[in-house]
Amino acid sequence: MAAPPRHVSMLSISNSNAGTPQSASSDKPQTPQPPSTPQQASGLRVPSNRKTIYDRHLNRSRNAELSRASFAYLFAEMVTYAQRRVTGIQDLEKRLNEQGYPLGLRLLDLLFYRSTSTSSSALSSSSTSSSPPNRPLRILPLLHLIHGPLWRLLFQRSADALEHSVSPDTPNEYMITDNDPLVNTYISVPREMNMLNCAAYIAGVIEGVCDGCGFEAKVSAHNQPTEMWPSRTVFLLRFGDSVMEREKVLERAGIK
Amino acid sequence: MSYYFTILSPTDTPIFNIAFGTSKGGGDGIARFRFPDTAQYMNQFIIHSSLDILEEAQWTNGGMYLKHIDTYPPASAYISAFLTPSGARFLLLHQPPQLPSSGSSSALGASSLLGSSGSTTRASSSSVAANPTSPQTEEAVRQFMSEVYESFVKTAMSPFYKQGMEIRSPVFRSKITAAGKKWL
Amino acid sequence: MCAPTVFSLIVINKAGGLIYQREFQPGLRKLSTNDYLVLAGTFHGVHAITRTITPKLPLAPPSSSPAVSSPGNTAPATSGYSYPNPGVPTSGLEFLETDKFRLTCFQTLTGTKFLLFTDPLTGSVDTVMNKIYELYADYVMKNPFYQLEMPVRCEAFDRHLGAWLRGRT
Repeated sequence: MAAPPRHVSMLSISNSNAGTPQSASSDKPQTPQPPSTPQQASGLRVPSNRKTIYDRHLNRSRNAELSRASFAYLFAEMVTYAQRRVTGIQDLEKRLNEQGYPLGLRLLDLLFYRSTSTSSSALSSSSTSSSPPNRPLRILPLLHLIHGPLWRLLFQRSADALEHSVSPDTPNEYMITDNDPLVNTYISVPREMNMLNCAAYIAGVIEGVCDGCGFEAKVSAHNQPTEMWPSRTVFLLRFGDSVMEREKVLERAGIK
Repeated sequence: MSYYFTILSPTDTPIFNIAFGTSKGGGDGIARFRFPDTAQYMNQFIIHSSLDILEEAQWTNGGMYLKHIDTYPPASAYISAFLTPSGARFLLLHQPPQLPSSGSSSALGASSLLGSSGSTTRASSSSVAANPTSPQTEEAVRQFMSEVYESFVKTAMSPFYKQGMEIRSPVFRSKITAAGKKWL
Repeated sequence: MCAPTVFSLIVINKAGGLIYQREFQPGLRKLSTNDYLVLAGTFHGVHAITRTITPKLPLAPPSSSPAVSSPGNTAPATSGYSYPNPGVPTSGLEFLETDKFRLTCFQTLTGTKFLLFTDPLTGSVDTVMNKIYELYADYVMKNPFYQLEMPVRCEAFDRHLGAWLRGRT
């Protein structure tokens, strides 16, 4: 059901002003290959310019810019929306996380699509991949993928640090640091909620990426302000036991 | 050559199916499997049985296109797989047309009409399309898979699409059909 | 010259309530919070009065020491009776000057008023006012935790405002 809703809303327009009234069957050959499948004859309508989302390019991103202000207003509304009927800060962070999660799943496919088709150099990070990017099989390539290409896709720069937990009790914990998360630029959290970090939304995105790649993980965002970076945020990634077990097996098998 | 293509969600739900035949070498693009029409489920059965192998291969090969991963000799069905980063599986079953000589005794054999038409096609065309494990076939399938991937990403980017939902867009279907026609 | 010393900033919401007050430089007499609230309310009333008494005749603005100016001192004498700038709604009091300080008032389209107390001797307040408005639009209005017409408690606004003024002066 991806595209149809849009088409349905367009149908009245395209039909009324098309000026080429024809029976439903004769306006079918909108696709380059006319008689493709019998399903074609269903009531599909295309926009008047005959461009469905499938005819549009996914790579027109070079000069495509988004207004930071409109994003800020949108995100502010998302936070306000998530704030309704919540019981506490954790609940609020969980909701923001859930809003980001599906975005992570989508971005993952888009990221790989873009890096395969934009002749290697643009997106493939210095640290991770050669020209045809591989699906990450181990934790480290996955983290590099998030730290580099994903962050660049979202924020046009890499994240600021990537660390592994030093404590021997928690070998499954990794940290990605962003000194000034874009989502928090205009947000001042009230003092009584000072544990809250709205970058929980980004944590949800990361979680979606990890889960999509088959790395079950819990990701949370934490405030770690410094003098220089008042909204410095650390994303804590905790991988599940199954991931750590598989990691050991793959290490023994010598897979990178 | 007949093809059965399916997309499985990360949770193994089939979200898209299509059967088609080759358009190369004078093929008419209509699938002619070796099972009778009443046994179409055999294709799904064979494809799903390759999932175990796919899940092993998934963690040893980081590529998205995993090439030919499984064969089901009784039906001489070959299975190629493509894995999207987000865990969706594209599986393509290809089955070369049956030779009259080998097929005559088989209980599974389709009608002799199918066999003969297939063999004449095969005889006239090069063996590229008919040999499911040749590098040329692998390349053709890879091209096909990347075209499907493009359409799939576009589907996945739609705000009305959630992961695991069936893909019902006729435009998507026609895109896949076109890709099949172009490469296979 | 182009960087006036800013003593204090007050923001008044459209109902006349004080929603923000901050001192940047000592130089003015300290006021208690209560006084500031009264000041905000009083100014709100005075502002409303000045708006209604804006003269309709294109007169030369009366220039006594506490000058109440009407918007844009240039009066385009088109007809006998008109507002100084036809088409532009009357805005009321815009600035007030004394020996010790200069009070500039800027009203946004939504009725929020910014009151800036600066050194009377130094130059244009416009850039300061614009920047303050910009910071307000960014760090207050885009903050999901700010409720409209309520007191401004946005740490990022405070921080950026302070940093910018410090960088200038």
